[in-house]
Amino acid sequence: MRSLSHPGSLVALAILALVVGGFATLVLAGGEKPALLAIGPYLVRVLIFSTVQAALSSLLSLVFGAALALALARRRFPGRNLVVSALGLTMVMPTIVAVFAVLAVYGRSGWLAAGLHGIGIPVEISIFGYPGILIAHVFLNAPFVARIMLDALNTVPAEQWRLAQTLGFSPAQILRHLDWPALRGEVPGLAGLVFLVCFKSFAIVLALGGGPARATLEVAIYEALKIDLDFGRAAWLAFIQTALCLALTLALNWAIARPPAAQTVRALAVRPDRTDRGLLAWDSLVLVLGLLFLAPPFLSVLAGLAHVAAVLDADFARAFATSIVIAALAALMACLMALALGGAARRFRLAARMPRLAALYDALPNTLLAVPPFALTAGLFLAIRPFVDPATAGYILLPLINGLGALPFAYRFIGPRIMIAGERYGRLSASLGLRGLDRLKIMDWPILARPLGAAFALAMALSFGDFGVVALFGGTELQTLPYLLYERLGAYRLEEASSIGLLIVLVSFVLALLSGRLSHAAD
Amino acid sequence: MFKRLGLTLLSLGLATGAALAQSKPVLTVYTYSSFSGKYGPAKTIEERFEATCNCDLQWVTAEDAGSLVGRLRLEGESTKADVVVGLDMNLAAEARNLKLFAPHGVDTKGVAVPVEWEDDTFIPFDWGYLAFVYDSNKLKTPPASLKELVENPNGPKVVLQDPRTSAPGLGFLLWMRKVYGDGADAAWAQLKPRVVTFTKGWSEAYGLFLKGEADMVMSYTTSPAYHVVAEKKDNYRAAAFSEGHYLHVELAGRTRTTKQPELAKSFLDFVLTEPFQSAIPETNWMYPAKNPASGTPAIFKDMVQPSKALIFTPEEVLENRRAFTDGWLNATSR
Repeated sequence: MRSLSHPGSLVALAILALVVGGFATLVLAGGEKPALLAIGPYLVRVLIFSTVQAALSSLLSLVFGAALALALARRRFPGRNLVVSALGLTMVMPTIVAVFAVLAVYGRSGWLAAGLHGIGIPVEISIFGYPGILIAHVFLNAPFVARIMLDALNTVPAEQWRLAQTLGFSPAQILRHLDWPALRGEVPGLAGLVFLVCFKSFAIVLALGGGPARATLEVAIYEALKIDLDFGRAAWLAFIQTALCLALTLALNWAIARPPAAQTVRALAVRPDRTDRGLLAWDSLVLVLGLLFLAPPFLSVLAGLAHVAAVLDADFARAFATSIVIAALAALMACLMALALGGAARRFRLAARMPRLAALYDALPNTLLAVPPFALTAGLFLAIRPFVDPATAGYILLPLINGLGALPFAYRFIGPRIMIAGERYGRLSASLGLRGLDRLKIMDWPILARPLGAAFALAMALSFGDFGVVALFGGTELQTLPYLLYERLGAYRLEEASSIGLLIVLVSFVLALLSGRLSHAAD
Repeated sequence: MFKRLGLTLLSLGLATGAALAQSKPVLTVYTYSSFSGKYGPAKTIEERFEATCNCDLQWVTAEDAGSLVGRLRLEGESTKADVVVGLDMNLAAEARNLKLFAPHGVDTKGVAVPVEWEDDTFIPFDWGYLAFVYDSNKLKTPPASLKELVENPNGPKVVLQDPRTSAPGLGFLLWMRKVYGDGADAAWAQLKPRVVTFTKGWSEAYGLFLKGEADMVMSYTTSPAYHVVAEKKDNYRAAAFSEGHYLHVELAGRTRTTKQPELAKSFLDFVLTEPFQSAIPETNWMYPAKNPASGTPAIFKDMVQPSKALIFTPEEVLENRRAFTDGWLNATSR
């Protein structure tokens, strides 16, 4: 029975074994020269650049995301639910769709330039370099940050709101004593997640960076794997990236301790700070700016509507089905792993009183983001090659790698809620002698069901839009929609590619809508 | 409900049975995605080959030529590939070093590639020249030479591909070397201010160009043919450069590990025949390696005809790629 309550440790071990095993195989396959890689001056520059751009991207995403979340928490307006659902959407856009969307608005011939020319300001806009990279990264990540933070704000219990009202808290006091503690718990996880996503962002940085001075380590890993076929070098680069990111995530997690959650929850009370004039003006400004920044790139994706009819064929149907199946498998895996890890983190924090160890479990999903998917896939492929037919390897590896890739995002939904369930009802259920499945059913399920659904939908959307390792294992059987998109691009069919991009975004939107509905319904 | 399910299962079983009963030998051909995609030549080629071979041709695809080699390297001896279609000259030496390929054994006399063909591992199946493509409505006087493009500080803005991740990107790096020799790095530094960006692959770069982010894009001399034939637009042109153009040759080879060497060999023979070659120009937008009797489509005659083909041998590329790339990195990453 006791061993059954440790699935989290097993999952953690399995993940570690996969990653370490994958890298080790890669190093061994590298053959004759497993010598330590000399880090040249270029790589040092790339590492510094990656760190700076990722730090800036996450800082901007966090600040903008928090402002959006607070404004959305304080205000009610028509279409709010739709906006909240759409927030989960940018993150899952295929990167090439995001690049084209950003350029459609801010590019040399984009809407902004056209608008400025229209009113007689003939400026040459060029966003290549830091502006382009930051715009794209904030566009992709800030809405997701807002989503998660909005969820966190909604967990502030009604009692506290009533207390705040009775005490006549000013908006500043509310921010400090009610909102900030709720947000702070999310900061390390979110900051780490966004930082890592940006740190290894690859196609976006190359497309919008303007030159090889602005590249990420992922480019060098890709080059070693695909062009040099130097697996040893790829493994070492991957190792450097992982170690660096691991150190940063852990530092972040330890620097900002997570506050314990409140004890009870009831229907959300009316926020007393809604009536404050100054705050209303500020929130309106934030919402309008948010809309101005986020909506145009979205709308530009709609240009794909024109050729939707041309892409709806048998190829599309097959790719659609493949994508859905892979995404569902990946999402299932991500959710199960998140549950197991979250459970372990809770055990260590609450029952065993080992918060540092618990923080390690909390940080593990994020750390996965640092692992370069190409290197991991290549390593795992080599590892299973003696046992599995290469043609079937793709069917195993694709959902696995996508599931691991979606785990950090699923964990953002699931991990904190598991902890809340334990903090609120753990002692009670222990005194009632609830164990095992009963405890899961009575204590965890009510509070977990919805975030679980949300996590599943988001993980599915993420995997759905991900091109990732299909590049290596796609084929006549394993064609996903992003694969189809690139195939059409490669055949000059830019319009069809943009239609496929639009359809991917639409499916993701439906999933995000679902996810939004689920995560925002009251507990 | 269950009745229908039963029927479905039954028919599925029958279909499988029928498939097994036929038991034609399967020829597995690896290629890149746009070759086997909706608009690629793969379907036509499959029909035409299956009409004569009494076999079942199956395509397995990787994203691009680089991924093909990567995948072969990963699969090693256990690869299912009988034939690989879609490598290129700049990857040929690396592919050969995998020691997975058998001599092609095909008579390559009379291939229409602008260089002498002596390779005994790979045969060419199509080819083209790299070129900068521009929109003649927007750019009235394109540069007439690579030197003019590089050395005119007020010249057009270009979007290129990263030579570390992309085949045309590497091709242009080699082109610069051919024209500038050891001065290539200095030339890169001169060109850099007018390079909008170096993208991961051809698709991103071409997309950026079509969306108006740059005046010219690194592509192929035959790219305008696509716009004329498929879109009826004649404003996209390739700029002819007086120094000559870098040659891009796409290759096919058969594996040494194949269980059906005869079938693989007969496919390689088929590659240089009319039914294969005539499928290439208007699907892959490249020149056929052996001119079909029907001739190449008229539109290809309107394309830029370079005075000189520039090319490094695969071995030279293998030997120098690292140094060339590092030079480029140093010159452009300041």
